[in-house]
Amino acid sequence: MAQMIVATECDVANEVICAPANVNELFEFPALFTVGGLEFSRTHLLMFLAAFIVIAVLYFGLKDGRLVPSKFGATVEGMVGFVRDDVARDIIGEESRKYLPYLLSIFLFVLVGNLFEVTPLINFPITSRMAIPAFLSLVTYVIFMFLGFSRNKFRYLIDIAWPRHVPIGLRWLVGLIELVSVFFLRPFTLAVRLFANLVAGHLMLTLLLGSGVIFLMAIPEVGLRGLIGIPWLALGLFIFVFEIVVSLLQAYIFTLLSAVYIESSIHFEH
Amino acid sequence: MEGNIELLKGALALVGYGLGAIGPGIGIGIVAGNAITAMARQPEMQGTIRTTMFLGIAFTEALALIGFVLFFIA
Repeated sequence: MAQMIVATECDVANEVICAPANVNELFEFPALFTVGGLEFSRTHLLMFLAAFIVIAVLYFGLKDGRLVPSKFGATVEGMVGFVRDDVARDIIGEESRKYLPYLLSIFLFVLVGNLFEVTPLINFPITSRMAIPAFLSLVTYVIFMFLGFSRNKFRYLIDIAWPRHVPIGLRWLVGLIELVSVFFLRPFTLAVRLFANLVAGHLMLTLLLGSGVIFLMAIPEVGLRGLIGIPWLALGLFIFVFEIVVSLLQAYIFTLLSAVYIESSIHFEH
Repeated sequence: MEGNIELLKGALALVGYGLGAIGPGIGIGIVAGNAITAMARQPEMQGTIRTTMFLGIAFTEALALIGFVLFFIA
């Protein structure tokens, strides 16, 4: 980490682009222990912690269905109501109750995973490992593909590849774009959007806050030049607040797009 | 240094991402700007407009995201 920021490995005389040797050390953790051939690293533990937090929050928040809920209960009810009304019902419509459990669990899991980025002592968003957003978007992909093919049979594929409402001259082009977009780009961008935002945020936070601290600690050695750490620390703290907003927004967008994709398969009328 | 193709590929990916981010940047600006105009004209439609705005931003963003993946391919 410190080597990366101060670029001690960089040969300034010979290299034009002073790239850090390896960014992966910010995202990859060594395996802590092994259970039956499966290696468990910090990421895995955090993943289980996120799932556990989601279960605990939902259980304790909604345990006693009191008429006037406690403050915590009201917050949880607010989140559930937000996903139920503003995401599921507004987008999917009358069938939304069936998909609410999926959307709610995906929203809360991604939200907790994202907020790990700004949680003190954890400071690592599990959604910045590609496997997690990729798997979540794969689940959405399977759901909306299954719905599309089971509701519309093979017409789903034909209507996407050969849209009848488009003028004949452009039909093949629109069909091709739609085909690539629906079957390939949708799951891909869904996963990469979450992943990219969290990777960028984690990198920015680590570099700014880390370099701020490292430069300030180096003042005894390098003198007042180390004061450059102060603006970096300030910018890092500003971005820290910004990243909280990004975490919330990305969880919302992931859920929203999952709902939109599911809806597009249910109401498939071209 | 000389003939270091890997270094050159990384640098080209940087330039490519910069170019690729122009279009989505303009597009997201248009989406958000028009959403603000719409909200100012009809504040009672705010919820629907905001949802649609996020959708539009999400779809516009796709090109920038594909550019981001360049770093992992290049």
